[in-house]
Amino acid sequence: MRGRRALEWAFALLAGGALGVSLVVLIVLIAITALQAGPITSMRATAQAGISLSLRSMDVPGTRDSLAYASIAQVESGSPAAGLGMSRGDALIEVAGVAVDRPSRAWDAVGEAAGGQEVNLSVVWIPRSEITLGTLRAASTGGEPCVLLTSPSVAAQAAGLRAGDALVAAAGIPITGTRQAWEALVVAARTQGTPIELTLDREGERQVVLWDPSVQAELRFVRDPVRAWWTFLTSLNEPRYPERAGLLPAFVGSVYVVLVMAVVAFPLGIAGAVYLEEYAPTNVLTRIIEVLVANLAGTPSAVVGIIGLEVFARALGAGRSVLAGGLTLSILILPMLIVAAREALRSVPQTLRDAALAVGATRWETVRHHVLPYALPGILTGTILSFSRALGEAAPLLLLGAFLFVTYVPQGLRDSFTVVPLQIFEWATRPQDGFAAVAAAAIVILVALLLVLNAVAIVLRNRFQRRWSG
Amino acid sequence: MSEHEELPVLSTRDFSLWYGSHQAVIEVNLDIVERQITAIIGPSGCGKSTLIRAFNRLNDLIPGVRTSGEILFRGERIYGRGVDPVNVRRHIGMVFQKPNPFPKSVFENVAFGLRINGFRGDLAKRVESALEKAALWDEVKDDLHRKTGYDLSGGQQQRLCIARALAVDPEVLLMDEPCSALDPIATAKIEDLIRELASSVTVAIVTHNMQQAARVSDFTAFMLLGELVEFGPTREIFTRPKDSRTEAYITGRFG
Repeated sequence: MRGRRALEWAFALLAGGALGVSLVVLIVLIAITALQAGPITSMRATAQAGISLSLRSMDVPGTRDSLAYASIAQVESGSPAAGLGMSRGDALIEVAGVAVDRPSRAWDAVGEAAGGQEVNLSVVWIPRSEITLGTLRAASTGGEPCVLLTSPSVAAQAAGLRAGDALVAAAGIPITGTRQAWEALVVAARTQGTPIELTLDREGERQVVLWDPSVQAELRFVRDPVRAWWTFLTSLNEPRYPERAGLLPAFVGSVYVVLVMAVVAFPLGIAGAVYLEEYAPTNVLTRIIEVLVANLAGTPSAVVGIIGLEVFARALGAGRSVLAGGLTLSILILPMLIVAAREALRSVPQTLRDAALAVGATRWETVRHHVLPYALPGILTGTILSFSRALGEAAPLLLLGAFLFVTYVPQGLRDSFTVVPLQIFEWATRPQDGFAAVAAAAIVILVALLLVLNAVAIVLRNRFQRRWSG
Repeated sequence: MSEHEELPVLSTRDFSLWYGSHQAVIEVNLDIVERQITAIIGPSGCGKSTLIRAFNRLNDLIPGVRTSGEILFRGERIYGRGVDPVNVRRHIGMVFQKPNPFPKSVFENVAFGLRINGFRGDLAKRVESALEKAALWDEVKDDLHRKTGYDLSGGQQQRLCIARALAVDPEVLLMDEPCSALDPIATAKIEDLIRELASSVTVAIVTHNMQQAARVSDFTAFMLLGELVEFGPTREIFTRPKDSRTEAYITGRFG
């Protein structure tokens, strides 16, 4: 007796431990993902300020090093950044006192800067080459290639540069080309600060000019997490810049595909379960159907994807459309749905069926008025759980040929589409800075969506249970 | 005793029933007389419940059930070709061992049979009269729609089930151990009710409680191992049983 008792305790402890550990792991994973998704706020705020950044780098002449800097790839017209005179091609040097050598530094600085929703950050940038320096021309003096300043800009003139000066080095970085000349200024400003010691060759004489080519201003913009998540969820996708990435096409695609799936699979699944539980005679055919359903439930989702590709996309000509995606997913969940619904129907007491039949109800009347309503909470729970499985599925749709990246919202059944898991996959595999955070944000939204669905399942179940019991 | 000579409402002719290979009812011949109460008694597993469920073809739903012989309802074979069991059940109602109200309001419980049978007329009145016949009306009239079948006590639930069966105006009411889940007070109420009902409806009741059979029934059938051992007026069965097995059972030597 005592031995058995001890064994029971051991099992209970083991089971409780496993449950606890898996819960902790789950919570940690979700928390890490949520933390990873944190930069979405500052990225979206940067986009709100009007700036899109991209990573550039300059090879340092004479060495194998290359130095990185963040270039302003896009400035939205009418944005605060445009108001400050920033424009495409400028280099961002500092944000809130943080040196920016790659885009994520700028986002981090925006995220960490003090202030509430309205932030006011000092930014330092160097305008693009023509504005900073003026017109440059590659030339050679005595066989040596050099970079000549043919018509200096206003800023350059103010610093004491004249037309005809040859640019030699900026803070020790040799100047070797017309484009590189400006990059050298940017990198020097970023690594060694301003003013920059600019070495010139003026009429054969070496001269050093101290010059601060950077522009400093206060950038005022909104940094609101709620707004950031909302715009992330409701904006179209921008392929190049993570701060402008949007989930709307994938989100709407997911909703459409799941809707198509629900419309197809829910009635079929319930009808199948009702047939098997309430009508089917016990014979070989029924047994075969039952085995097939059970096997279908265990089919790898990739195989389901191939079925979808061959049957729906090719044979039925639906292509890689929302319709084909919904039909493919309905194959995936149909067996799960049937199994769950059968379980729910089996839990309906036989006495309830007897009661209805005994007052002269037909089988169908019994099922419709008593068995289905009684089983409905269980059926709904199973249904919603299988829907959430389908919502997180990427493999079958990948094999179907759904797009990874879509920049438009699908409008109808025949449109091509992508879904949230595929979009996450696409973002997560991108090498550029920032897309990992975007993928994490999309994961958070997917998890939130699944939680909402499960909550709906619980609420529906409780509502029906209350109706029956009180 | 002239009323006992009336035509039987239900009669079985060499009726047998198998569950797969197990024969649960063996060539039973039994007549159930109109507006009389017929009790079927016997030990557990003697086939009495199976027999009573055969009267309204409720066994049809169990896979592997086979029958032979006949059951006649007013001269018509209820297991005949082309007979719809649903039609049979509309004339032969049933009350079960455990109260099984629908998880709906008291009103809907009673009204369901009427609705599906296409009843046209005053539904509320019909529900009221059924509940009155089942001696439940006074207890539930104030919350017909508020309370569900499950909110009632066990005895009330069983009377609700009786009302539900009576609402569709059956000619025969089958009762399968209707009091086995009830306390003595609720049982006494149901027994009184059964006696009252006999004036308007034919009742067949299965019970393993011999005192109950003796108290309520006009006729008693004793079954053992699927066979009908003895059938006759209740007083005779309990006072002068012809078969020694019947005597052994009613005197409590087995069962």
